[in-house]
Amino acid sequence: MSGARAAITGLGAVSGYGWGVEALWRGVLSGQTAIRGFSRFDHAGYRTLVAAQVPDAPAHAAAGHGLRLSLADRFALEAVAEALAAARLPGRLDDLEAGLFFGSSTGGMWESEEYFAGLTGPRRRARIALLDSQQPSGPGDAVARACGVGGPVETIASACASATLALGAALAALRAGEVELALVGGSDSLCRLTYAGFNSLRAVDEVPCRPFRAERAGMSIGEGAALLVVESESSAARRGARVLAWLEGVGASCDAHHMTSPDPEGDGIARAVAAALADAGTRAEAIDFVNVHGTGTPHNDAAEARMLRRVFGARAAAVPATSTKASIGHYLGAAGAIEALVTVLALARGLVPPTPGAGTVDGALGIDLVVGAPRAVPGARRALSTNLAFGGANAACVLARGETA
Amino acid sequence: MTPRVAVTGVGAVGAFGTGSDALAAALAGHAPAPAAVDRSAGYHRPGGARRARLAVGVDLSALVPPAQARRMSPPARFAMAATRLALAEAGLAGLPAGGHARTAIVAGTAFGPAQVTEQLLRQIFGQGPEAASPALFTESVASASSSHIALALGARGPNLAITQREASDLLALAEGVRLVATGAAERAVIVVVEEMIPLLHAVLDRFRALALPGADGEEVARPFDRRRSGVVGAEGAAALVLEPEAAAEERGARALATVAATVRGFDPSAPAWDWGEGDAGLARRLARGLARAGVAAGSLDLVVSGASGARRGDRLEAAVLGRLFGGAPPAVTAPKGALGEYGGGLLAAAVLVAAGRALAPTLGFAEADPALGLSPVVAGPLARPRRLLVSALASGGAAAWAVLDAVEPRPARAV
Repeated sequence: MSGARAAITGLGAVSGYGWGVEALWRGVLSGQTAIRGFSRFDHAGYRTLVAAQVPDAPAHAAAGHGLRLSLADRFALEAVAEALAAARLPGRLDDLEAGLFFGSSTGGMWESEEYFAGLTGPRRRARIALLDSQQPSGPGDAVARACGVGGPVETIASACASATLALGAALAALRAGEVELALVGGSDSLCRLTYAGFNSLRAVDEVPCRPFRAERAGMSIGEGAALLVVESESSAARRGARVLAWLEGVGASCDAHHMTSPDPEGDGIARAVAAALADAGTRAEAIDFVNVHGTGTPHNDAAEARMLRRVFGARAAAVPATSTKASIGHYLGAAGAIEALVTVLALARGLVPPTPGAGTVDGALGIDLVVGAPRAVPGARRALSTNLAFGGANAACVLARGETA
Repeated sequence: MTPRVAVTGVGAVGAFGTGSDALAAALAGHAPAPAAVDRSAGYHRPGGARRARLAVGVDLSALVPPAQARRMSPPARFAMAATRLALAEAGLAGLPAGGHARTAIVAGTAFGPAQVTEQLLRQIFGQGPEAASPALFTESVASASSSHIALALGARGPNLAITQREASDLLALAEGVRLVATGAAERAVIVVVEEMIPLLHAVLDRFRALALPGADGEEVARPFDRRRSGVVGAEGAAALVLEPEAAAEERGARALATVAATVRGFDPSAPAWDWGEGDAGLARRLARGLARAGVAAGSLDLVVSGASGARRGDRLEAAVLGRLFGGAPPAVTAPKGALGEYGGGLLAAAVLVAAGRALAPTLGFAEADPALGLSPVVAGPLARPRRLLVSALASGGAAAWAVLDAVEPRPARAV
């Protein structure tokens, strides 16, 4: 059963390429990855030494925010300011029926680690203010507070599927009339916990990740934020807002297969895609390209390739696929938001960004991976974005082209 | 037309033990006293809180077999146990393979798996990053509980975890109701879970969130009381089974309550670790949400309040209720006086009250706070409500409410 679509009218982003949507777009089109050596914390003792770190904040991004904010809060606040300006909305939404739906995995974990190191260190002292935004809900709450959101505020922390699930929750709230406008996004920062944790699973490549390459050996971690202004069609029309893209449907499922490995047959993510297509009232034939989860781990990419074959059948090898993670790393809880945002830009500008990565595309996977240079898709009307998570949670969304940006 | 969603099973695990009867006894004042928190790590400040409602010694082995439990963090064990209790009550235990193919799992947690996170950080900082345990890392994500449950049941519907402090419980309920009502899932298991480890307890105390020891050394949660000084931390889990009322009826399951409304809001005036003063905005949001669901405030005959003894939190709660009901408030009860804060007790208690299986006076309350203009029910028996409002206002600003309707009992059929 399908429901009403929602208008995406503003975008904001912070990424390893810099602060802002245009820095991100230039970066992903360049084919040059933002994954490289980094300095967020001393990682000399780690097995791998690369990540996509956000460059130092420009002066304007630090202005006006309190000192007791986490890095992830700051990324999110910068992204929302950009998104609201792009949507021609005021910085405060007190007078609107607005909600916020966010994805985050670790929130202020980087600051929590500083606290823990102090508390357990030789002086056994630490500033409690480091924990002000400790939880995954920290960045979303900071945005809601700053923007005067009075409606539902909800952070979903379902690992790498979080932000796409947040898109689903937002779309449901818009359809139900609970809100007329939703801030949807995610924010996560680099931290030792996730860097060491994924290393412990031997899930991190020693070089920048190489999704869908024969030589792929794992993911790369990134940090940043993405924010999408999503509103009801009537709200966008009433405001005369420019519609960058339509959020037509979101689907979710669970593999119920393994705590860390995806269902190798791709059945779980295929069911999420089927649910998203049904929610959008469309069919696989109408999808022009896919922004896949594409972590670069051998298991994920193989499962996703099978998913594409399940969903598209014989057409799977002809549907352009791209992985944003090869450019900016894996944003974990925020991945679904930044990848949906890139998909919106790709639809609006008729270009599918390439998937950087050394090596040769794994021919056994049978997919049409966009590599080397952007692929022009001027007639593309509809795209999918997919995410798979620890524990088997899957989510997918269907986006359709709005007006030309 | 959107189908009405029924609660057909409830499960609870906490300091009070396991099961609805143990929870009902705790609500009636028969819970064990809060236990001493291990302070040997030196995390706690001098003179601060020392106690919490800990589920130490609660035997879960009948619900979570040891071979399964050893792969789980403590909160995942709590969540799994509560889920099995809820499914058993709903008549959905032991379904054949594929029986949960369209079951959604929605978890709510304020802090996530704290113990494994602390252990991981100790490994990283103490022994170096290569010492980090992959098993601990897998368990450290907030969605580990919902994933374990999905894996154990073969639940292949949507799976999500919500982290929004003290409102996580009712926000999870709202998402579960949405998934069932829209047909995205055949049924949903809502599971709210928390563990209270010494580090978390000490941090909450450093934020001045916990009730202070009195002259007698006791730490008491005093919802709405003039002398309230903070919450008593708690751990455990609560689980509900949600399904369309018609589907429950079709299979002969007994509904414990139906969900007449869920409402969500946010108070932007709240600081990160406390409650704000945005009662007017929250009350407006609540009133609008109730109106949208066709629920008249006058039809509510009980409020099961999330008031916990927090100084600013209870003040905000009283102010919101005062604005909603004006001069004619219904009875108000605050189960967190008996159960402590966190672990889903509020949600499970509300269902038991709606089902007529628990009568919950507000323990810990003795002296009215003139600034609040609200005195909760302190002595039973409460009349069984026909329709009740559950309220959860979170530190940091989030808010959620639900309206539960009582269901007239009828004989259950075999399922």
